[in-house]
Amino acid sequence: MCLSLGCSSPHNPLNCIVPPHMLRVMALRGDDKTARMARSLLKQNAALRDERAEHVSPPPPAQDGGTFAPHAVSPAEGLCCPDRRIHDGDGKAALPGRLVRAEGDDATGDADVDLAYDGAGQVFSLFADEYGRNSLDGAGMPLIATVRHRRNYNNAFWNGDQMAYGTGDGEVFRTFLELSVIGHEMAHGVIQHSGGLIYENQSGALNESIADVFGALSLQRSLGQQIHDADWLVGRGILGPGINGVALRSMKAPGTAYADDLLGQDPQPWHMDHFVTTTEDNGGVHINSGIPNHAFYLFCNYIGGKSWELPGQVWYRALQQLNNPMASFQQWADQTMDAVTAIAGRGTIEAVLLRRAWKLVGIAI
Amino acid sequence: MIIDITAQGGFGGITAAAMKKTIDVDQQPRQMQQELCDAFEPRELQRLTRTPCPDCADRLTYRITVTEGQENPQVFTLREDQLPPEMLDLIDQM
Repeated sequence: MCLSLGCSSPHNPLNCIVPPHMLRVMALRGDDKTARMARSLLKQNAALRDERAEHVSPPPPAQDGGTFAPHAVSPAEGLCCPDRRIHDGDGKAALPGRLVRAEGDDATGDADVDLAYDGAGQVFSLFADEYGRNSLDGAGMPLIATVRHRRNYNNAFWNGDQMAYGTGDGEVFRTFLELSVIGHEMAHGVIQHSGGLIYENQSGALNESIADVFGALSLQRSLGQQIHDADWLVGRGILGPGINGVALRSMKAPGTAYADDLLGQDPQPWHMDHFVTTTEDNGGVHINSGIPNHAFYLFCNYIGGKSWELPGQVWYRALQQLNNPMASFQQWADQTMDAVTAIAGRGTIEAVLLRRAWKLVGIAI
Repeated sequence: MIIDITAQGGFGGITAAAMKKTIDVDQQPRQMQQELCDAFEPRELQRLTRTPCPDCADRLTYRITVTEGQENPQVFTLREDQLPPEMLDLIDQM
């Protein structure tokens, strides 16, 4: 019984027993039935809160990553090839749309379709060849994408099953089919299938940052770039022709990607002193991601070489081991430290430089 | 009936990139009027707010305000994935 919460009868006892933060993890990680139940209970909780003048605060999030079942994917054996399926949305919202290029098909001559196909292959290759991961779920799931999603649509997203790319309106955005963007969206799929990070506040900003990191690594690896030769921009060239800006975000210098009369100034901070507290954008997930983005850039800059090698391995291992969907920046930084220790060894120069990178963005580990 | 729609969020998280539309339903062709009234009927919007809303990255959030006659405006906040594709197509047409 849970009379202390004032639940009306009849009620589902889970609604009272299971705290909201746990329901949110179940909604994120559970099978279809469990996720539906958790979402339903979350809705009921929200309604109850609205009805009560005084509501019970949920317990604080678990601090111990061991609370949740691990979702890390072991390196796959015998992984081979992607299974790409590119669709044309024809300007409509229904997904996935009309299949226009399947795995092994010749190039279509349609730039959007071929970019989505080739980009998906590059990202698959990054995760497969460098980290031993067989597709986004680690089990060879098809890479489904839709180009020309909706009309003049200024967005690209991962919907839990597939990627979708708008064309942009030609004014603010001219395209979303750029490899760092494709890598970003596909990395959201990897994050989802690695235990997930709840998409708000610091865990949401980590979700965004990790997607940016693997988007940048996809691009740099495809170009064969050394760390010091890369521009560390996310979405270079996707802004409209009249926009004063080079990209959507800069990992090297957060807050400098654009400064425009229409868009304003790139709002990303690079240090915890400038962390933005807001209710918009799911608690600033696209804003505060600048902080862990910059920590990754600094680590790479100290290490040199190729970003997708040791730095990418550290971030990938940390993601697989994190096991905390509500992780804070501090907890993520600690996890990367564990990862670099496992990969390079305790007290190594790599570990020292990673600690320095986090310290420079205001996070002490 | 007046329908105001604003959106925020998305991959860029740039407010200026988001859509902002106002439509006076009475000024639309008859067929469009019917489609809009059906889709943006406040009870229907209220129902949509109760549909499951998974944790999906980079989706837009819509704020839809419906004003009927002299009544107080009714405001609904809906995630992109809570709106059926037909309704998103209608928003794109507006």
